[in-house]
Amino acid sequence: MKEIFERSGGSELLLQGNEAIARGALESGVRFCAGYPGNPSSEIIETLAEAAKEIPVYAEWSINEKVALEAAAAASFAGLRAIVSMKQNGVNVVSDFLTNLSLSGTGGGLVLVTCDDPGGISSTNEEDARLFAKLADVPLLEPSTPQEALEMTKWAFELSEQIKNIVILRSVSRLSHTRANTLIGDLPDYGGGAFFDTKSPFHTFPVLTKHLERHKKLDSAMILSERSAFNRYDGPDWPELLVIASGSCWNYVTEAVELLDLSSKVGVLKLGMTWPLPCNLLRKHLARAGRILFAEELDAFVEESVKALTADLGSEVGIKNFYGRGSGHIPICGELSPGLILGVLGDLFSKVWKAEIFREKIRTFIPQPVPPREFGFCAGCPHRGSFYAIKAALAWDGRNGFVSGDIGCYSMGIWPTGFNQVKSVHAMGSGVGLASGYGKLGQFGFDQPVITVCGDSTFFHAAIPALINARFNDSDILLLILDNSATAMTGFQPHPGTGSNAMGHKVEPVDIESVCRSLGVYVEVGDPYDLNVTACAIYRLMGMAGPRVLILRRKCALVQGRQGGFPYTMMVAREKCLGEECGCGRYCTKIFRCPGLIWDAAEKKALIDEVICVGCGICSEACPRGAIVRMEKRKD
Amino acid sequence: MAIGEERYQSELITRVIEKGICVNCGACVGLCPYFAYFDGRVAVMDRCGAGTGRCLQVCPRAAYTQIMREEAKGLEGRDLSLGFYSQVLTARAKDKYLHEEAQYGGVVTALVCLGLEKGLFKGAVLTDRGGELSPGGALAVTPFAVKSCAGSRYSASGSLSILNKAIKDENDGIAVVGLPCQMEALERMQRSVPDGGDRASKVAIRIGLFCTWALDYRKLRDFLYKNGVKGIVRKYDIPPPPAEKFVVLTEEGQKEFPLGEIRVFVQKGCYLCRDMTAEWADISVGTMEGTAGWNTVLVRTERGKDFLDDAFKEGILEKGNLPDENLKHLIVASRNKRERGKKAESDMLRDSE
Repeated sequence: MKEIFERSGGSELLLQGNEAIARGALESGVRFCAGYPGNPSSEIIETLAEAAKEIPVYAEWSINEKVALEAAAAASFAGLRAIVSMKQNGVNVVSDFLTNLSLSGTGGGLVLVTCDDPGGISSTNEEDARLFAKLADVPLLEPSTPQEALEMTKWAFELSEQIKNIVILRSVSRLSHTRANTLIGDLPDYGGGAFFDTKSPFHTFPVLTKHLERHKKLDSAMILSERSAFNRYDGPDWPELLVIASGSCWNYVTEAVELLDLSSKVGVLKLGMTWPLPCNLLRKHLARAGRILFAEELDAFVEESVKALTADLGSEVGIKNFYGRGSGHIPICGELSPGLILGVLGDLFSKVWKAEIFREKIRTFIPQPVPPREFGFCAGCPHRGSFYAIKAALAWDGRNGFVSGDIGCYSMGIWPTGFNQVKSVHAMGSGVGLASGYGKLGQFGFDQPVITVCGDSTFFHAAIPALINARFNDSDILLLILDNSATAMTGFQPHPGTGSNAMGHKVEPVDIESVCRSLGVYVEVGDPYDLNVTACAIYRLMGMAGPRVLILRRKCALVQGRQGGFPYTMMVAREKCLGEECGCGRYCTKIFRCPGLIWDAAEKKALIDEVICVGCGICSEACPRGAIVRMEKRKD
Repeated sequence: MAIGEERYQSELITRVIEKGICVNCGACVGLCPYFAYFDGRVAVMDRCGAGTGRCLQVCPRAAYTQIMREEAKGLEGRDLSLGFYSQVLTARAKDKYLHEEAQYGGVVTALVCLGLEKGLFKGAVLTDRGGELSPGGALAVTPFAVKSCAGSRYSASGSLSILNKAIKDENDGIAVVGLPCQMEALERMQRSVPDGGDRASKVAIRIGLFCTWALDYRKLRDFLYKNGVKGIVRKYDIPPPPAEKFVVLTEEGQKEFPLGEIRVFVQKGCYLCRDMTAEWADISVGTMEGTAGWNTVLVRTERGKDFLDDAFKEGILEKGNLPDENLKHLIVASRNKRERGKKAESDMLRDSE
């Protein structure tokens, strides 16, 4: 048994933030876990699904975040504790259910974990999902460390049962993916079954009554928060500057105060619950400081609420100088960092902060600078073949066509790795919805061909309604489903098409082709490794009307690598390689750009990087001189 | 512009592709992966960014250098409306089957078959019939394959891309049958650096076709489809004036359209052309107006003369004389095309200023 699933507590484990959340849920006796993968949240359900093999809990990867919350809410209504996890974009997806669920209230403790991605490191946006807590009138907790993530998860379940409403726990990339020694507690004894008490239904009617109740629940949460140790103050009684910090930013502030030797002047109010705000606690600290700095990610969420509270309190706390996003001291976008907080505090106290010293400290940890790399598909990635074929078909067509993109590895089609073919990327399934719109613009003189792409997991998540819309409204849409049999970008989580579920059980795969055919949509299947054949198929399909689907099916190269590998050993026939000469112009390394191909600058010839190249062999079709040779791997 | 400067793909794109005056001859295609010919059109696949290149040098529309035939030097005073030629005559294939399948007298088909049979060349770059997709180039190595390409298409076929591919595949002894623009491209190829001479040495003979203009196949296909022509077209014909007809022969029968409805599909670049009779060919072949079933033939080079003489000697062709009246008419038509081309070019230059 893995240590993280240890029944008895008391030991310290090196846990990732997400693992700590999972452990906290297990220690709370969670029974039902659901989510949709998305960086930086994926490890929570992965850990719980692993736990489910040994501990009597259930875990699933749901088809999308909304269904995940609905499924988990069912467990809650039946009296069980349940957790759902997602990235910030997922909260948008659940929001319709969330704002109604928070009116009906919940039964067993129900916790929604959102892992936000300040800086948009692996996201299409850097949205601050905390705003949904305010919108839905539900409590919001923000841990700062893995230990706190574990503890707060447990508190979240208790709080949810105390106020009979869902609680949001908000992490960010830096917490979710950081590791720290974490003291674990005991796992509970599992007892009690699921039962829905038909005398206590869950619905939103009468709306006004339920709305009022919801606010009362929020008031109760505030009272509990006032007494909570998760909100705490460190610093002098009458600080020269009060920093109100939450989440990962609290770590940066603590470090900066220490480095600048400001602990006698700066007080730090760490808020564990950032909605509703602990007003009495704030009243006390606001009264004692004239200058207030906010350290939070990403929006001025606490900042604006505290400013409003200060106005409400009026002369009781007096006039303040606020430093934050409103004043311009904190940037309105992007991740915060220790360096950034050092800079702000240094300015406020006229302390020359030697940025170089801090950078030097970082440099000692990184002996060799990491060379810059652009985003790119892996060696052997079927998406390279798909976009290569798309590029050819659109160029042949010559009417300034483009790709309406979607969410997945193939979003990188906006960059050279996908030959810059993708011209729009937004939310899960949105590429298909957009395409269904473009497909009706013909009547307004629009004659540019549009190809929309979505992955297999994205197809199930949110593309199906858009495809049905196209069918229903007879839109001219060509959807390429880039079926790599994996939710690849987030780490190969299973989905309805893969044949197994989160807990590793075999299930009958949902056949994408049959789903499309059942809608009355024209469907073909192709192989993205077959570059020219695929390009011709796309060109031919572009010439047809109505909704059409081409499924380009090849396993994700990383999955294939684990499941038997690839058939070829690749080699460049040096004497045939034209290099920079007219007729090639470094086509393989400049245009095709598979990372398995490298340029030998001394010899002015292409080379295979034997470590990176997996042996898919498709570059041999792309080479204009047939200089890239594929040889069957010997089966020793 | 001197050779050595601006031999760039980007220059070709600016001068030709973006202006929409590419005639889809295919000369720039198959040299590299940056151009492709597909379904009737030459497409830019990627920007190569190179500071040198052959594509611009071979393009008959880039007006990159003036080229002039050696033999024509010193003849500036003479009427060169038909280009330089040593002999003009009429001919037709003795094989009557060719009159059915090929255009008019079937001279080109008969010549190519003969050349292959006698080993004068190993393969011939021709234009196939097309179908769902446009006509394209084909490398025919048997008389059977040659006959399946017989007949005029009246559309661009990018067939020089197949020549480029054949050369890349290390073929030599290749006959090329093509339109005037394609014959010019071959001449430009011969004069191009760094390897034009070597590449041109793989071409055994150039057989040029008379051409007034070529159609954009995609537009023609859409038009025919809308007008009920859905099967594979066996043959197209534009009977001599004053017929003003475009005739389409399919398995289901013959359909005729007013020529005016078809002319709107003429490639823009064709209006710039000044060459009706393929002056850069070894032998040029076209219709003989007024006498059905015969071709007009212009012999332009020694190589062309030897080949044609051989054909008469072998008895596969019948020879006839072109009446003066027909020659005069051909010269006038050819001169008119030169004048139209010249005017279209100056209009274009004026518009782009």
